[in-house]
Amino acid sequence: MTLLEVRDLNVWYSLDEGGENHAVRDLSFTLDRGERMGLVGESGCGKTTALLALMALLPPSASVSGQVLLDGQDLLAGGEAIARQHRWRDLALVFQGAMNAFNPVRRIEDQIIEPMLTHGTRTSDSARDRARELLEMVGITAAAGRRFPHELSGGMRQRAMLAMALACEPRVLIADEPTTALDTMVQAQILALLTRLSDELGLAVLLVTHDLPVVSQVCSRAVVMYAGGLAEAGPVADLFHRPAHPYTRLLFEATPDLHSDREVVSIPGAPPRLDEPIVGCSFRPRCDVPLEVCSDRAPRPLSVADNPGHVAACWHNGGAR
Amino acid sequence: MRGWSYLAKRVSFSLMTIFVATTLNFFLFRVLPGDAVRNLSRVPHASPDLKAQLRRQFGLDKSPWEQYLLYLRELAHGNMGISFADQKPVRGAIVEALWNTIPMVLIGTIVAIVIGVATGVLAAWWRGSWKGSIGTSFAIFFYAVPTQWLALVLLIAFAGLLPSHGMSDPYLLDDSTGAKLIDLGRHLVLPATTLALTLYGEYALITRSAMLETLGEDYVLTARAKGLLPRVIVRRYALRNAMLPVTTLIALSLGYLVAGAILIETVFSWPGIGYAAYQAVVERDYPMLQGTFLVLTFSVVLFNLIADLLYARLDPRITL
Repeated sequence: MTLLEVRDLNVWYSLDEGGENHAVRDLSFTLDRGERMGLVGESGCGKTTALLALMALLPPSASVSGQVLLDGQDLLAGGEAIARQHRWRDLALVFQGAMNAFNPVRRIEDQIIEPMLTHGTRTSDSARDRARELLEMVGITAAAGRRFPHELSGGMRQRAMLAMALACEPRVLIADEPTTALDTMVQAQILALLTRLSDELGLAVLLVTHDLPVVSQVCSRAVVMYAGGLAEAGPVADLFHRPAHPYTRLLFEATPDLHSDREVVSIPGAPPRLDEPIVGCSFRPRCDVPLEVCSDRAPRPLSVADNPGHVAACWHNGGAR
Repeated sequence: MRGWSYLAKRVSFSLMTIFVATTLNFFLFRVLPGDAVRNLSRVPHASPDLKAQLRRQFGLDKSPWEQYLLYLRELAHGNMGISFADQKPVRGAIVEALWNTIPMVLIGTIVAIVIGVATGVLAAWWRGSWKGSIGTSFAIFFYAVPTQWLALVLLIAFAGLLPSHGMSDPYLLDDSTGAKLIDLGRHLVLPATTLALTLYGEYALITRSAMLETLGEDYVLTARAKGLLPRVIVRRYALRNAMLPVTTLIALSLGYLVAGAILIETVFSWPGIGYAAYQAVVERDYPMLQGTFLVLTFSVVLFNLIADLLYARLDPRITL
């Protein structure tokens, strides 16, 4: 059952030197209750911009169009005051690395308590109990809450960050490259923790990453973004075995695999500039199987093989000439 | 325990600094062109005998090294010497001047910190809008304006309305404490305002740039994602972290204030430590100069120490 639906999301940044950067283009996807979904794409493809747009946290230089529906209610329609009420209560955010995500001069516990008091979900005393409970739930001692962020290791800090994200019992957890700055062992632990929490609490997770193995390990579905738009979306197994967009296929081919002799390839070229209009398919210049129509018109996302859960925006996937 | 040994180290280092500065000052004043004797003997029929007599009286006939050792010995006993100009002990004059300076500097500085930090925070919050630009422009203007010019402009603008000279009215009829305090307050307005205006610009600009830095930090984005109110984010997150460098810089600048109000005290004839230093330079009054500079050195070193300790107090990441 659909919990979060993003419809035709567009984000433009107005640039100082004039003009606009069209960072997110007609992005649509849905997230079901308790589902874990990956949002994949290379750096600069608009992943972080898209998720900041979901929480209405973009800077004033950005303009947004489209809808973000949570249980049918548009989070972006009511302005800042309405959006603020939903933050952390419905959508919580875990950042990259969490190195600087904590205020360095406040104790961890106090920072976990803050959103509960702000949103009035707990009284002061029960919020403190809840903070300790959460810290134990993510596998660090409640006593660690009395510490300052710099006194914790990177892995502990990321666990504390997860504890903080769960403070107001959100329905969706958005994790933006939550394991990027961590070493492989800690990375695996954090991902296991994320998976366990999502299963136990029925928490929907939107995992933003450029790391495909992480997505296939944690998520059931994924959205592949290219140049601000949706390239392909569907169950992870389908994306891996039956990719309907050359970019998805090339992304998997560019990922090293210990268990096969397959050669790792790289995708030549660079993503298009987003401050200029793109004619035709945004991936055409780097595509290994371009068609004539690709340079004229942009393909729209269509179902792959009549499976509504799998869509791809590619002329190879059909579409009217 | 680590804290105490650090403190002991810092204090002994500070004492060393004061000693070196005192030594440099001692010789610096003696290489100034002109000397006290020539100044005092500028009377008709001054004979070479008179000059020699004055020289002997002030101990200036001894070699510089002898004078220096003598100075150090007396200083160690708390004796700062006798003023060449009025033959009174320097220590009493300096204590009195300090007591005159402190209220004026204190009030001016507190006003400057309050206005400066508030302006800086708002200018950072409103960056890019006309409100922010106005705040920043005023801050830059008052930061750039020469102190003595601002003092003179205020003097001209408010002459008649407010007293322009000294710190009390010698012709005050009512000698009750209340009337005296009001009189002092009226005298305080112009010099303290000048000081506040010249300082606030600097504080506002420092606060603004520190705020712009912290407002861009990840933890501010986290705070916004948590749904905290903007004023909470500014106070607990951005300002609280921006205050680390700001506090240090303000504490450092306070060190210069004790004697650093020379220009203001001179324009308004405020009988404080800065005015005393100015007079002493004019009269080549070495003991008085040494005394005022010792106070200046001491306050700079002291506030440096305070800034360090304060930083450790404000920032949990720093342990002494």
